[in-house]
Amino acid sequence: MRTPAFLALLVSATLAIAAEDGAQVYSTLCVACHGPDGKGLNGLPPLVGSDWILGQADRSIKIVLHGMTGPVEVARNTYNIVMPPQGAVLSDEKIAAALTYVRKTYGKNAGAVTPELVKSIRAATVKRDTPWTAAELLKDHPFPPGQTALVNLVGTMYKGEWKELPDFSKLKPAQIEDENGGVISPKQAGLKNAFAMVWEAKFNAPQDGKYTFVFDCDDFGALYVNGERVAEVKGIGAIGSRRKEVPVLLKKGLVPFRLEYVEVAGEEVIVLGYKGPKDKDFKWLSDAPGAVAKAPKNRLPIPLAAQGGYTASYRNFIGGTTPRAIGFGFANGLNIVYSGDNLGAELIWNGKFMDAARHWTDRGQGNEAPAGENVLKLSGVAAVSGPVAPSGEHVIYQGAKAPFQAIPVVAEFKGYTLDKNGNPTFNVVGEGFAFTDAWVPATDNGKTSLTRTITAAGTKPVTILLAAGLPNTANDGVIELSANWSLKTLNGVEPTAAGTDLKLTLKPGQTAVLGYILR
Amino acid sequence: MKKTLLTLLALVAAMASVEAQSKKKKAVDIKEALPIQDKYYERVQIPTPPGEVVEVSSIALLPGKKVAISTRRGDVWVAEGAYEADLSKIKWTKFASNLHEPLGLFYKQNSLYAVQRPEFTKLTDRDGDGKADSFETICDKWGINGDYHEYAFGSEPDRNGDVWIVLCLTGSFHAYSPWRGWCVRVTPEGKMIPTTSGIRSPGGIGANDKGEMFYTDNQGVWNGSSSLKWLRVGSFQGNPTGNKSAELTNFPAPPEPTSGSRILTERLKFPEFVPPAVILPHGKVGNSPSGVACDMTKGKWGPWENQMFIGEQTASQVQRANLEVVNGLYQGAVFHFLQGFEAGLVPIRMDQAEGTLFIGGTNRGWGSRGSQPFTFERVRFKGKVPFEMHNISARNDGFEVTFTQPVDAATAGDVANYALDTFTYIYQSSYGSPEVDQTTPKVKSATVSPDGLKVRLIVDGLVRGHVHHLMAEGVRNKAGEALWHNEGWYTLNEIPAK
Repeated sequence: MRTPAFLALLVSATLAIAAEDGAQVYSTLCVACHGPDGKGLNGLPPLVGSDWILGQADRSIKIVLHGMTGPVEVARNTYNIVMPPQGAVLSDEKIAAALTYVRKTYGKNAGAVTPELVKSIRAATVKRDTPWTAAELLKDHPFPPGQTALVNLVGTMYKGEWKELPDFSKLKPAQIEDENGGVISPKQAGLKNAFAMVWEAKFNAPQDGKYTFVFDCDDFGALYVNGERVAEVKGIGAIGSRRKEVPVLLKKGLVPFRLEYVEVAGEEVIVLGYKGPKDKDFKWLSDAPGAVAKAPKNRLPIPLAAQGGYTASYRNFIGGTTPRAIGFGFANGLNIVYSGDNLGAELIWNGKFMDAARHWTDRGQGNEAPAGENVLKLSGVAAVSGPVAPSGEHVIYQGAKAPFQAIPVVAEFKGYTLDKNGNPTFNVVGEGFAFTDAWVPATDNGKTSLTRTITAAGTKPVTILLAAGLPNTANDGVIELSANWSLKTLNGVEPTAAGTDLKLTLKPGQTAVLGYILR
Repeated sequence: MKKTLLTLLALVAAMASVEAQSKKKKAVDIKEALPIQDKYYERVQIPTPPGEVVEVSSIALLPGKKVAISTRRGDVWVAEGAYEADLSKIKWTKFASNLHEPLGLFYKQNSLYAVQRPEFTKLTDRDGDGKADSFETICDKWGINGDYHEYAFGSEPDRNGDVWIVLCLTGSFHAYSPWRGWCVRVTPEGKMIPTTSGIRSPGGIGANDKGEMFYTDNQGVWNGSSSLKWLRVGSFQGNPTGNKSAELTNFPAPPEPTSGSRILTERLKFPEFVPPAVILPHGKVGNSPSGVACDMTKGKWGPWENQMFIGEQTASQVQRANLEVVNGLYQGAVFHFLQGFEAGLVPIRMDQAEGTLFIGGTNRGWGSRGSQPFTFERVRFKGKVPFEMHNISARNDGFEVTFTQPVDAATAGDVANYALDTFTYIYQSSYGSPEVDQTTPKVKSATVSPDGLKVRLIVDGLVRGHVHHLMAEGVRNKAGEALWHNEGWYTLNEIPAK
């Protein structure tokens, strides 16, 4: 009697497992982003090489249940997107089957996931209603400490400023620390600028053969393997153009290793990795995010610039101003950003205009800052002041979350026109007034400049904010806005200082001509 | 002995599981499907401007057989020769650049109009040099906060000249800016009229033959599955995330539905809640619906007069839907239709006079079955009508299925050649839903009409509010041929009185 019951039980249990086919769940839901080969489609995060799917499954289960948002480093690339939660769509059994499949296929046989574990984590996180961030998950479920090929790594830090590698034997260490995980990081210095570090260790070569080391750093340094200097990065500079890849023949065993590094100022980054005789990909010995450690393939710069005398333009999310930003890059190398929210030019700079790569790669999230130099923020609030429109028809809706507000405003953005060379004239309209705001490249006594012409129309005067929080006193019609920029009255219609603001009041029909000069 | 028994048991279990596997429906193999599709429709990739990244985001039809496309990078290009047999002579002119991810483009009285992320804009070439030199802001009243997901999809003008704009939620989850999660209309004078609440993440918008506006919304929070939805003025579309914006005007407060319920239950509480017209079951019909077009070609594009066509981003397909109104609500069936497009589809635009469907695609940021980074294509009917279910129509006691060709009375009259299953979704604040409340109604009889074009199915067990999945695998036409697509999914919001 017992046997048939047992038979029925066993058959039904096996059927239940077979019914929840992890590969099928993967091919229905996961494949659209993570790809049929787990390598990620179109710049979306891969599962191959991801630490996130390894170790205890709790972390992966939470991600599948509630999704994930914000920046995350996966296989040494940084991604910033939303993974939609699947907890409401998938049963515990389906999640267990899918994760078992993923861990088996892409996770170095990280072990099966049971529906019971999914169920317990679902119950424990039942109140969670937003996607997780990487920081939250790593706080509760850190990656297991790995061990790189660097054994007995010790980092020694020296304070000082050098233009080339010093003789470290003559320097006095400021700090010495064991780095047991075998990972090299400039952060281990505890300083941002003016320091050097030397790391010494044994490199554990698993077999005889050719090893390829890759080395790059900001600012400079040298790599020694087996007592020989195999690579050096010279001078002061950033990651990228000085990257070295060098072959080194090693015998199996523990090989002497030394890295010397100097940071002068600015960014501090070390990219260090190696490929053994049988490795296809680099293994990393430093903590630099893969976006810099790998050759940057996902986001090559897409520089925008004026062409053939025609002004470049860029309408997108630009750092330092409001979301309705419109950038113009003039043929003489000066650039502005106009805010369609605040109705005024808010940033001015020279040199490179904009890099469109952030917004034209992947989903294009975030603000991109101006690419050039001497960025001056002119203002950041509504540029047209005065009584709000009496009809109440000019309204903007404001707020970052409810309750939102309907705010009567003085004037509204009506767009822009372009001249033959692509130079803009912005149009602003209020009740009883309107004005045009035109910008063209120019020179002023041999210096590059932009000429801004503002013309008022209608029946009422209009007051326009030109700059806020900047020096606003004129000397011979010239206001030195900053160390790099000055503002000049070109037709005698003078702006006026009001507190820390600089404003321009125009009567109907009146025109002001202003020069923005790179000093 | 015990070991032998266990081995035997394992074997039995394994065999049972193999059998269970083999009963699973076989996915349509694209290599087998495309040659069949080619008999009925000609799909051609239109060369895009050489060396340019043309991630097509919307399509506009201009007089003189010109076609304009906008791109996600913000360019607008105009093509001459996109209708020609020889596409090698196509001529592209860059009309404008510097728009912010435009997702709605149309032509009116010598101007192009674009709905871009921050505003609705009129683009005009005042000096006639072929390039826009005036970018007039018609309306910029909706909120944006810098989040990439705050997309704005715009329609062509409706019969009043108003443009309908559906505004995606912030990050597709939140309403962190005014009017996110709403459909608004903008009048030719630039006045913005809040029109419906309850939007989540649109993929496209377009009108049917009666001028009623529809949009596609993607599976997610409060959306158990993606669907085609009817934007009835004043309605609530099901997602309460953006409800708070109603306070900005005198719009009546939208419903605050109960999570974990069913759409039918909640919409019966709130008359302004318009349920999805056609649910596109997630994973079965597609994963992310996009552009919407209506066939009003009077047969030039096939026998689908007034039916709706829906782009599909992930699967790089076009689905077909027939709609009908029952008790004041739109409902109908969706069928698989065209596939094999080269990228993830976003806009689709029908030239009604020419019988040409233009299709644009991009897979940047969202993967798709079509593997090219972007594509611009056109599809034309070759004149040979495929054997298909033309439409499924609800009746009080079942369905009437109309076929495109007279059926074989023996197979079409045999109830064994039909199978029905129904399901719905949990209506909830969390993301998506499994299929739930499954039933399997019984087809009691199948009666073929005298002309052989209609089959009346009497069904025991229709379920109001459920998707009814009808399989007609064994039905043949007079020539003994099987259906090109043998299943449809009918969303039975209402059971008709007759």
